[in-house]
Order: sequence, then structure tokens, then C-alpha cells
Amino acid sequence: MLCEIADLIADVPAAGGLASRCQSYIRENAGQPNIVIREALYRGERYPNVSPELVAYMESAYQFYKELVRFGGFYLHASAVVLDGKAYLFSGFPGAGKSTHTRHWQEEFGEDAALIINDDKPALRRIDGVWYAYGTPWCGKSGINANQKAPVAGVCFLVKAKHNKIRRLNVFEAMQRVMSQTIYKFQSADTLDRMLSHLERFLQEIPVYEMENLPDADAVRLSHSTMSRESGENVL
Amino acid sequence: MKLKENFVLRQVAQNWVVLPIGEAALDFTGMLSLNDAGAMLWKVLEQDPDPRALVAALTAEYDVSQQQAQEDVEAFLQKLMSAGCLERE
Repeated sequence: MLCEIADLIADVPAAGGLASRCQSYIRENAGQPNIVIREALYRGERYPNVSPELVAYMESAYQFYKELVRFGGFYLHASAVVLDGKAYLFSGFPGAGKSTHTRHWQEEFGEDAALIINDDKPALRRIDGVWYAYGTPWCGKSGINANQKAPVAGVCFLVKAKHNKIRRLNVFEAMQRVMSQTIYKFQSADTLDRMLSHLERFLQEIPVYEMENLPDADAVRLSHSTMSRESGENVL
Repeated sequence: MKLKENFVLRQVAQNWVVLPIGEAALDFTGMLSLNDAGAMLWKVLEQDPDPRALVAALTAEYDVSQQQAQEDVEAFLQKLMSAGCLERE
């Protein structure tokens, strides 16, 4: 089935529950696909004791995001919330409290104003000099996503703590954290080099923070006030 | 000891990193960061697996004693070993 995902036409196999996940992305008669996801290439043997649905989900995500590198983008393991037309990405290791934090944004600003466009793997693409975060069907267990895009205001890596404290990361710290939450393992050096050039540009253009935080409303006000205030060139 | 195939040295945002491609990518976890001296040693190691070549390159390029260079090269090789980038010839 043809879908429009991250402003790209993707041919996605309907099997394994993807038809329902992709519902709001389906574009019949969309024309030639930019990306073709092949069910025959799913590596089921990599996931013993995993349901066929989960294999289809993970492997279609892998193929889509690997191909995304050819189109000026990559994904970040993050929960992405859009407020006032800007996307705020909260990333970190599993259990860092990404989804909890964006849920708290919704409580603070209202569910209509703060929209979670992707709760797990938003696509990032640079188009005409602007980095956009996109909702995609690959959005994690919660299934929360919206077929929307918004310019990226910033990325914040979350660390659980007994206090709330945020700081801007330098490019090296940001690089290490972003790379720990995306894919950079490819078959070819050519794809790796494309990915690295996207990453380098992203780090130059998008502010990246780390917030030690409690799961509370103060943390929301701190991340929002800091990330909505600053933008532009990253600090070296 | 020599470098396994399929590891590449790249500079990202002015930082040196060693990254896997192809088969090596499957079981390599994390990312190996190198400083300028480490990157230089990596490039020498790509050409010549003899540790003496590394010590020679280090003393030629940096103001360090033979003894210090040997210790630095040992630490460098240990770091690569732990990261899984080396194999026996």
C-alpha cells in the first residue's frame, strides 16, 4: 500500500498490522514510491519469540529509516510534542521518562495545544534549510502519532533525578547522545557518510540539552521555557 | 594485532570517531571516540600493524619520550581491543 510519510511516498506491506498503523498515511494513486519496504527482507530470525506483528513493525521501521538517510533525514528515539507550531523532542535511554514528560506537557498546556506527533521514533528531515520533525506510523507501544510535521525547536535528553536542572550540551556531548539514540550502523560507507553529514548539520543548527528531572510540572516549565527561548547556532 | 576490516575513522563535528559498517556493525556497540593523537595512530595502524611503527609515529609527531610513547601506544591498543576493533593476525 502506498503511504505518504515524512513527505516521501513509501510502499509499505500491509501485513503484520501495518495497514491499521498506517491508516492516516495511506495515499492511493500517490505515484512512484521513493521508498519501497520489502516484507521478504524482514529479518525474523533476529527476533526469537517475538510476534510476527512486532517483527513487521520493527523491520519496516528499520527499512524506512535506513532509506530516509538518502532523503536528508534520520530518526531520533524520542517523544515529539508540537506546541505553538514548533516541535520539541525528548530523548533518552528506555525508561528515561520521555513519554511521561510529553504527557506532562499535555497536562500543562492542554491536549489540544500540545500535540504528540510521535511517541517513539519521529523522522527528522532538513528541507529548504529547516529541520522538521514528522509524525510517522513507527511511534512505539503507545501508538500515539499524528500525520503532521513541525520545525524542530530543540532536543532534550532526559535523565531521572531528584531535582530539575537543564543545560545546553556542547556539540561533542550532543553527538554522543544523538548517536546513542539513532541508527548509524549501515552496510555501506556511503550511507554512513550521508548519515554523518546530516548529523553534523543537525548538531550545528539545532540546540541540544540535557535535563536532570523529576516527573513533574516544574520540569515541564523548565524544559519549555529554556527550549522555546533559545535557538540558532549551537555552542561549541 | 591488526585492525578488523569494516571499521572506519570519521570526523564528526570536529571530533574523531570510529564507526562500524557492514557485518562489523551488527555486534559493535557504542562508539569509539579518539583524540587527534589517537586518530593519527589509527591511520598508521591501517597501514602497518607493527606496534613499533605506532611508537615511532607518536615520537615523530609529538614531544614525548620513547617510554611515554610506548605506554600511550599500549593504552591505545588496549582501548581498541576493548572496543572489539582488533584481531590477531
